[in-house]
Amino acid sequence: MSSPGEAHPLPQRRPHWGPRLSHVNINVWRLLAFLVFLVVWWAVAKMVGQNFVPTPLETWQAAIQTYSNGTVPRAAMDSILVCLAGYVVAAIVAIPVGLLMGGFRVLGSTLEIYVDALAATPRVSFIPLIIVFLGLGYEAKIVVVFLGAVMPILINTYAGVLNSDGELIEMARSAGAKESQIFRTIMLPGALPYIIAGLRVGASLALINTVVAELYTAVKGLGGLLSIYGNTFRMAPYFVVVFTLAIIGVCLMQSLKVLERRMGRWRYNSSERN
Amino acid sequence: MSSTTVQSLPVSTSAAEEPAITVRNITKMFKRHRSHEGILALRDVSLDIGKNKFISLVGPSGCGKTTLLRMLNGLIRPDEGEILVHGQPPVPGTHMGFVFQSFRLLPWRTIHENVAYPLQLHGMGKDEIHERVMRYLEMVGLRKFAESYPSELSGGMKQRVALARALVSEPDILLMDEPFAALDAQTREFMQFELMKIWHQRKAVVVFVTHSVDEAVLLSDEIVLLRPRPGQVSEVLKVDLPHPRWDYDARARPEFVELRRHLWERIKEMVAADPQSEFFNRDGKSDHAAAQD
Repeated sequence: MSSPGEAHPLPQRRPHWGPRLSHVNINVWRLLAFLVFLVVWWAVAKMVGQNFVPTPLETWQAAIQTYSNGTVPRAAMDSILVCLAGYVVAAIVAIPVGLLMGGFRVLGSTLEIYVDALAATPRVSFIPLIIVFLGLGYEAKIVVVFLGAVMPILINTYAGVLNSDGELIEMARSAGAKESQIFRTIMLPGALPYIIAGLRVGASLALINTVVAELYTAVKGLGGLLSIYGNTFRMAPYFVVVFTLAIIGVCLMQSLKVLERRMGRWRYNSSERN
Repeated sequence: MSSTTVQSLPVSTSAAEEPAITVRNITKMFKRHRSHEGILALRDVSLDIGKNKFISLVGPSGCGKTTLLRMLNGLIRPDEGEILVHGQPPVPGTHMGFVFQSFRLLPWRTIHENVAYPLQLHGMGKDEIHERVMRYLEMVGLRKFAESYPSELSGGMKQRVALARALVSEPDILLMDEPFAALDAQTREFMQFELMKIWHQRKAVVVFVTHSVDEAVLLSDEIVLLRPRPGQVSEVLKVDLPHPRWDYDARARPEFVELRRHLWERIKEMVAADPQSEFFNRDGKSDHAAAQD
C-alpha cells in the first residue's frame, strides 16, 4: 500500500537493502531520478528528431506559453470539472448500492451478475449510445466518466461488506446489537478500507475516461487539446498537456492516500492486524 | 465422585437458592451442508448453575461445549428442551458478558472505544460510559492504554480488554469460550490469577469453557465433564479447594492432583473410544485394532 519512498512515519514493513530511506534523502533521490529522466528524454529527442519528440527545453517554453495565455489552465479546469462531477456522482451512487447489495444478500446475489457484466463491457462501447441520447456536451462527458468510475467503487464496496468479519458480528450480537447496529458499527467500518481502495481505482478510471470522453465527444478540455495538438504535429504543447494530466493524476491519488490514511489509521499502527 | 453418567443432577444449588441458569433436557442438531442428515451436537443435556458460581465445561473436541455456551447466551436456540436464565429464555444482551478465544476487538476502535462498545449499543450517556470504561480498564490494569489501538497490544492485553468489555455492562453472568487458549503458557497463568481476583472482586456466574483440565480445576467451583458425539453430560464434579486460590499453591494439593488425574483419565477414555477422533484407539490397550486399519 505504501511505496517505500513515502515521507510518512510508518514502521518499515519489508526488510530492505541498501541505505535506509529517510525523509530528507528520498527527495534527493527523486530529484536525481527526474534529472536522469530529463537527460534520457533530451537524448531521445535529439535522436528521433524534434518533429516527433520535443526537447525538454522546447516543452518548457511551450508550457510557459500555453499556461500564460490561459489555454492549458482553461482546458485543465474544464477537464477537472467533468472528471470530478462524474466521479462524485459515481461515488454517491456506487457506495450506497454496494452497501445495499452487501447488506441484503438476496439483492446482492441478484445484481452481482449484471454488475460483473457491466464492469466487463468496455465503457467506450457506450459512447455512441450516450452521444445519441445526450449529445456532445457536458452531460455526455460526465456520464462517460461516471460509467468508468462507478463499477470499481461499487464492486469494492460490495466485496468489503461481504468480507466483514463473522466473528466480530457474533461478538456484537452477543452484546445485544440489533441488525442495523451490526451494519453500522461492524460491517460499515470493516468495509471502509475496501471502499477507499475502490475510490482510488475509480479516480484513475475517472481521469482516463475524462480524456476518452473529450476525444470522442465535443473536443474540449485537455483531451481536446491533445487531439488538436496531435493532429497538427505541435508536439511541444502536446507534451505540456500530457504532463498536466500526469500532475492532475498524481494530485488526485495523493489526496486519496491522505484520506485513506486518516480513515484507516488503525491499520498503520502496526504491521500486525487485530 | 462416581464415574457413572450423572445426568439432570442439580449442580451447585445451595439449599433453597434458585439456580441462576437452568438447562433442561436440551438437544441440538446441526444440519450439514447439502445433506439432510444432521450432526447431533448435544443430546438431552441438563444442568443447574447456582448464583455466583464458577463452572467449567470440560471435555474432548466435539462434546458441544461451545454450542452449549452459545445457547446459554441466546445466540442459538436448542431444538428441544429449555434454557432459563433467571427464569427467562436467554436473549443476548448486556446482562451477560461473552469472552471469546479470538479476542474479537474492533481494530478500528481504540481500547477505550472497544470497551465502551456494549454500552453504546444500549444508548448510555457519554459521561457514564467514560466513567465505567475507565473503572474497568483500571480493573484489568490497562488504564493507560485507553487511547491505544488493539494492534499495539500483546495477546494477553487484548484478552484483558475483551474481559473489560464483557464486564463493563456489569453482567451477572460471564460466558467465557476458551478465553486463554490463544495465549502463551506464562501469560495464560497470569491471566488465570487475574480472572480469579476479578471474580472475587465482582462476583458473577462464570461459565468457562476450556480444554485444559488444569485450568478447570484451578478456577472452578464445579466442573461439568461432557462426552462427545453426541455431547452429553458425563459427570459433574465439585472442586473443594478453598478460595482464594492465589494465596497458596493449589496445584500442589492432593485434591487438585486427584481431580486432575480423574478428569484426564476420563477424557483419555472418551477420546480413545471416539471413532471420529484422530487419537481413536491410541490408548495403548488396543494396538492390534488400530493396526488393522
